[in-house]
Amino acid sequence: MKIIARALEHYYGQEHILRGIDIEIKAGSFTAIIGESGSGKTTLLSILSTLLNPTIGSVRFDGKTISELGNIDTFRRHNIGFVFQFHYLISYLTLRENVALAALDESLIDPLLAELGINSLAKRYSDEVSGGERQRAAIARALINRPKVVFADEPTGNLDSKNALGAYELFKRFSREGTGFVVASHDKKLAEYADTIIEMEDGLVKSIYQR
Amino acid sequence: MITPLKALRKNRFKTALIFMSMTVSIAAIFLISAISGGVVSMYSAMLKTDGDIIVTQKGIADTFFSDINRSQMDPIAKMEGVKEVTALILGAAPVDPLPIVGIYGVSENRFKSYALTQGSSPQMGEVMLGSKIYETLKHPKTILISKKKFVVSGVFKSKIGFEDGGVVMGLEDGGALFHKSASILLITLRDLGKSDLLIEKINTLLPEGEAKTTDSFIDSYNQFKIIKTSSDVIGAMAFLMGILGIVSMMSMVVNDRKGEFGIMRSIGLSSRTIIFKLLSETLIIAVLAFTVAWGVSEGVLELIEHADKFQGYINGEITFTLLCNVFVVSVTMALFGTLLPAIYAARIDPMSLIQRGGA
Repeated sequence: MKIIARALEHYYGQEHILRGIDIEIKAGSFTAIIGESGSGKTTLLSILSTLLNPTIGSVRFDGKTISELGNIDTFRRHNIGFVFQFHYLISYLTLRENVALAALDESLIDPLLAELGINSLAKRYSDEVSGGERQRAAIARALINRPKVVFADEPTGNLDSKNALGAYELFKRFSREGTGFVVASHDKKLAEYADTIIEMEDGLVKSIYQR
Repeated sequence: MITPLKALRKNRFKTALIFMSMTVSIAAIFLISAISGGVVSMYSAMLKTDGDIIVTQKGIADTFFSDINRSQMDPIAKMEGVKEVTALILGAAPVDPLPIVGIYGVSENRFKSYALTQGSSPQMGEVMLGSKIYETLKHPKTILISKKKFVVSGVFKSKIGFEDGGVVMGLEDGGALFHKSASILLITLRDLGKSDLLIEKINTLLPEGEAKTTDSFIDSYNQFKIIKTSSDVIGAMAFLMGILGIVSMMSMVVNDRKGEFGIMRSIGLSSRTIIFKLLSETLIIAVLAFTVAWGVSEGVLELIEHADKFQGYINGEITFTLLCNVFVVSVTMALFGTLLPAIYAARIDPMSLIQRGGA
């Protein structure tokens, strides 16, 4: 899914967070949005992922504005996956049940868990597995409906460097298979895996680098 | 598929609080309805014994204050279609050492309505006791009613708590005690179809009296209306307290589980799904609370019925109709109490997952 953002500006109260952003995210690409804290990368990711409406400007998904997408819940369920810094797995459900919560086709769950190397943990609860395994389960939940694009906000913020690199590897692997990834992070190692790197500074795009 | 039971088990403490709040409210509704219904049904049953038509003093608010001339029993008994006429004096007086007891002065032909377990029907200066008061007074040979001595001639057993905990005497003694001719006349008919005609005749014969079918008397009796209205008001308060308890607890539950509902929103679960999920959780609690409240109420009613202190006067019964009504009330309580917090949960902005930390 190609995403085009034009003249995006966003305010939180009087605070001018985004000051005019024009970017294009290619379908199936692995895009990294990097920058220091307060640079506006999380706000940009939230707008691109339909979670937040910009104060000014527009975002188009394959040429359609948000208002033309129809029911936003249905659109998200079929087209978008989310991975957050905190895994947000539901603690009273097993890892498999957490993935099933989002699944449109439950027959895809076990193969996906196997692909992510956590099939043996499927019946465990989130407090019975490691942080890296939890984040893999969260990634599985994001990927289960074969979304066109997955948005991830600081997905490795709570992981050690080994697990963080493991998560990037996973994003890269699924990106090669056609799923787009837009990942916001202050971790500069992310840049080594992405096809496109958007560097943010003070609410503006400082640079765009494409491999 | 998310299992509501797992969610309830995970949030044990708050689930327990909601459960207790609902159980107390439902039990309160059960008890107040059963007890008030019991009072009405006991008194109604007493009036309906040998009474298709009831005659009271005109315009009287309470049968205890009614005074009607019993000399008219014979002319009424001779009317066509009348099978039998009985007279009752309804009163209450201290029976040493009990501060207040129901006293019934009855015409001789009504003695047959009391199932004697020992002794015989009372003559002048004698009384028969209901089995409950007989036990409470520890099998007395004589009793003092308003400081006047009466010999106990017999003991009867009655399913009507007011009678089983009361004293029955002849009409003469009752009249002397309460200074009246009779409180009510009860008329049994050969043919119920002639009741309208007979009521007209009786009202002409007794201008100071008012005849009604017993059913219509019970429907319009002011004391029953007061009891029923009070019970409805207390029941409604318990219902509202239950709803408020659920709203406040469910609001806390939703706040605790913000991350859960936020993630559901972000993965595209509809608002309806989230609302349904929370409603199904409270419905499970409501069914459990209803069941436990039912059991607790039956136990409490049993205790009250057998407590000497109440002399069997409080004799509540949970009928099938009451059971169905309270079940509907319990489910409604759960649905109303959960709706607002559930709507709030369904509107949680997934952005909150990005803006706040912690799961």
